[in-house]
Amino acid sequence: MAESFSRRKKKTEYYFDYSLVFIIIFLVGFGLIMLYSSSSYMASQKYNDAAYWLKRQGIWSALGIGVMLVLSFIPYHFWERFSTIAYFVSMALIPCVLFFPKRNGARRWIFIGPNDRFSLQPAEIAKLCLILFLASFITRLGPAIRSRKGFWTVILMALPHTAMIYFITDNLSSAIIIMGITAVMLFVASPEYKRFIILAAGVLAAGALVVLIVTRFSDKLGFRGARILAWLDPEAYASDTGFQTLQGLYAIGSGGIWGKGLGQSIQKLGYIPEAQNDMIFSIICEELGLFGAIAILLMFVLLVWRLVVIANNATDMFGALFVVGVLGHVAIQVILNVAVVTNTVPNTGISLPFISYGGSAILFQMAEIGVCLNVARSIELKDA
Amino acid sequence: MANRSEREERRFTIRMQKKLVVLFGIVLLAFVGLSLRLIYINRDNGEQYKKQVLEQQEYTSKTLVARRGDIFDSNGNPLAVSEKIYNLIIDSKVINDKEAYYEPTMAALDKYFDIDMNAVRKWVKENPKSAYYVAAKGLTYNEVEGYLNFMNDETASKNVKGIWFEDNYKRNYPNGTLACDIIGFTNAENNGTYGLEEYYDDVLNGTPGREYGYLDEDENLERTTKPAVDGYSLVTTIDATIQSIVERNLKSFNDTYANRAREGLGANNLGCIIMDVNNGDVLAMASYPNFDLNNPKDLSMYYSQEAIDAFTDEEFYEKLNGLWKNFCISETYEPGSTMKPFTVACGLESGKLTGNESYTCTGAYEVADKRIKCHNYKYGGCGTVNVKQAVEQSCNVALMQMSLTIGKDIFLQYQQSYNFGLKTNIDLAGEARTNAVVYNSSNMRPAELATSSFGQGFNVSMIQMITGFCSLINGGYYYEPHMVKKIVSGSGATIQNIEPRVLRKTISTSTSNTIIDYCNGVVTEGTGKAARPAGYRIGGKTGTAETLPRGNNEYVVSFMGYAPADNPKIAIYVVIDRVNDWVQDNVKLACTLTRDILTETLPYMGIYMTEPISEKEQQELAAKQLEITLAYTAPPEETTETPAEGENTEGTPAEGATGDAAAADPNGGLNLQWKNFPVDPATGYLKDPESGDLIDPDTGQNMSRSDFTAVDG
Repeated sequence: MAESFSRRKKKTEYYFDYSLVFIIIFLVGFGLIMLYSSSSYMASQKYNDAAYWLKRQGIWSALGIGVMLVLSFIPYHFWERFSTIAYFVSMALIPCVLFFPKRNGARRWIFIGPNDRFSLQPAEIAKLCLILFLASFITRLGPAIRSRKGFWTVILMALPHTAMIYFITDNLSSAIIIMGITAVMLFVASPEYKRFIILAAGVLAAGALVVLIVTRFSDKLGFRGARILAWLDPEAYASDTGFQTLQGLYAIGSGGIWGKGLGQSIQKLGYIPEAQNDMIFSIICEELGLFGAIAILLMFVLLVWRLVVIANNATDMFGALFVVGVLGHVAIQVILNVAVVTNTVPNTGISLPFISYGGSAILFQMAEIGVCLNVARSIELKDA
Repeated sequence: MANRSEREERRFTIRMQKKLVVLFGIVLLAFVGLSLRLIYINRDNGEQYKKQVLEQQEYTSKTLVARRGDIFDSNGNPLAVSEKIYNLIIDSKVINDKEAYYEPTMAALDKYFDIDMNAVRKWVKENPKSAYYVAAKGLTYNEVEGYLNFMNDETASKNVKGIWFEDNYKRNYPNGTLACDIIGFTNAENNGTYGLEEYYDDVLNGTPGREYGYLDEDENLERTTKPAVDGYSLVTTIDATIQSIVERNLKSFNDTYANRAREGLGANNLGCIIMDVNNGDVLAMASYPNFDLNNPKDLSMYYSQEAIDAFTDEEFYEKLNGLWKNFCISETYEPGSTMKPFTVACGLESGKLTGNESYTCTGAYEVADKRIKCHNYKYGGCGTVNVKQAVEQSCNVALMQMSLTIGKDIFLQYQQSYNFGLKTNIDLAGEARTNAVVYNSSNMRPAELATSSFGQGFNVSMIQMITGFCSLINGGYYYEPHMVKKIVSGSGATIQNIEPRVLRKTISTSTSNTIIDYCNGVVTEGTGKAARPAGYRIGGKTGTAETLPRGNNEYVVSFMGYAPADNPKIAIYVVIDRVNDWVQDNVKLACTLTRDILTETLPYMGIYMTEPISEKEQQELAAKQLEITLAYTAPPEETTETPAEGENTEGTPAEGATGDAAAADPNGGLNLQWKNFPVDPATGYLKDPESGDLIDPDTGQNMSRSDFTAVDG
């Protein structure tokens, strides 16, 4: 907000959010460093190339930065007209995973290119498309959002994606994120508080009930049940379901305040499986300590703050809601990722935005930021 | 107004902005909460997790042992070798992977290994997810060979899974007690203790490798390996044949005198070093009592089981340490008259003596109001002696006068030059420090100087004496004594050649020649006659030193000599520390022990006889030959020279003993049969004019193609 009033500019001058670009580039660069640190040992063991994952992530990151910059120059209203198409296309893409082979025991990817070189998660596309669709849909709803009907309509719109992602790709975490993004956008758009408090209480109660049931009927509930049990007492399941969580906790706890130093992690030497993925934050804690971890969290807070500023100064509701959706996406993933790593919530595979390994994820996240940058560009700098 | 309201709907309203700020507040709160969680984890569990990380580091990653290098004698005979052994590991997780694996695997285990199958079955059932169970330890290759052959048959062993071997090494000393003091031994952690094993520990031990185990995403245990780098081997200067000759003679001396005047060993300590005069190579170094390297904590050779059981731990280890200690380098004593050549060399070299002096000995000499006796005080002294006679007769009075002529400063300067008071830096662990047991210019007064001249009052170690003595007889070159001549890699490539090192020149060549002349006189005319082996001319010096406290009639007797007399090749030093006899100051004991050792060693080394042999000597040699033969053909527990025994039984005892290492050195046959000695005094044998082989003149046996091979096997 401050920036928009601070400088004396003509009406035709527009605003470009350099801070946001800087934050993103910092996070991506830092992410590459940590990715290399956490993956080089296993990469050299597995592929005889310490930079195996670094190279792939580097290509995707460069591509992502390019996409981000290009999108920042394309007027975001251009996308609004595709919102409905995007909604249905992204929905249709989800069942496509059934035609592709499993990887790591799950069917979540669409493979393209020679030797299935590139993989794409429809869930990632769905997140972007749903943000776009909901921003446009809520804008079109107008005052109707205030009614109970409007509220439930919006939720209903997000349900097909959520359900398909959960049931077809068996991907609970993406389903949670999509529902979370919807809730965040709805929360900002709707004047209500009470309904959200009730909703949050309901979700918590349901969660508590699930936990209660799981502890009663123990391991008859598949791997999710086992994960909940491991969450409650990771040490009791140290050799199987609790292994990853416990190893992550060891990494965090052994880092201390200043950490063991960049590259000095022990836990990445095969103890934390796929340390460059969801558990990368624990390696950050181990190598850079509390100091480094909290500094990274602060960077994410800054990122969220910039998105708040952009949304609040956006010229129209569509742009603002889109930015809110992106904000929700980033915030939910960071919070859930750190919560999983610290065993605050049960283990579910959520990657840390801009830092964890994952080609398609980083590309779509950068695309979202690119659109946000364009929303920022359209902010008119008023005369002082 | 309506217009404004409509625009408000399309715009992001103030209310929404407020809610967005609320949302930001919630997000911020979540971040603060997570940060607190991070801090709490570190505060509450930080220490525990730090330990956990290090603990499991050892748990899932495993050290791969490097093969410790071997130790060989100078001819390539193994003295210490590392043998591969196998630990049998059972991986329960793999076995339980499929139902079909279980029974065939158990059947194979039962068939090929001598293990408790009930325990294995129980363990596999109870720990279905564990991948590491040591079912048997220390199996030799023979014990696993059957299984490995079975596994090569892929159809038969199709369902046998989850069995693998972990390599390890066991140190083996094929010759048991042979050269035990030199070699030293290793403990369970592969650290060398004593001797070469300790001194060259870093060289022998390679770099251990590492095997990392980790769980992949599907929680399978994956293994990656960084192989171990094997240690280097040592080629020593020791000749196992000479070493065994020395040790056998020391033992037989001990057996002769054991329990004679008192209960116990034949002498407190027996030591012998044989050294190459011209390069500092130690050819043999032995002391008695010795111990079995394969079982270093075994005291049963010297004590009854009851006595051992009665020892406290402290006593037990005190006895062991006594055994393990290498007398030749770790113990110091007063050298006695073997010091005299050093004193004389000092006098001649410094110019204080001309060699033409003569001294009158009346049995004692008064220095600084002290009457210091000569050894033949009882018989009225040595009379008038010149310098050479003083050495030959070992006259203390003459030497005292010489030392007073030389003076304290020059005497001490030469002491230093002979390395007394300093370490020789021989490449063995545990060399004694002697800087505190020699005199320096502040505490040496005339009386100390006088007694030092004949080797009383200060302490030396055997290795110091013989190394210094070599320099007296090789033209004055003080070589650093060494045990290892080459370091080789596991594949046999030479890593390092250890060349002889001249540290300094102690005396001039002409002084050296004079000393040789004097020392030859000791054996031909003087106190060392008994040391001469039949058929050879040698030189040397006897020593009889009274131990502290004086007047106890306890003595260290020694002989330090060299052969051949005119052109010394090897030096020998024999020390008998307090022999188990009623009279201890009998230097003849050291002389005869030297003679016994040289009688066998010189022919083996290819040093020819030059002297005629008397009738009596012939008989002695014949008897000795029989004795040696019996030693070689005796039952296994008797000797350390095991490898050749099987072959000996074919020949008669007399024939069996006549050759030695003939294959290695055609001239080096141990020829002791020369009943009708031929005219040729240079070789001692007849020479076959056709083949050049050496023929025993008595039995007609071909010396070069003897069916008897000694320790070389």
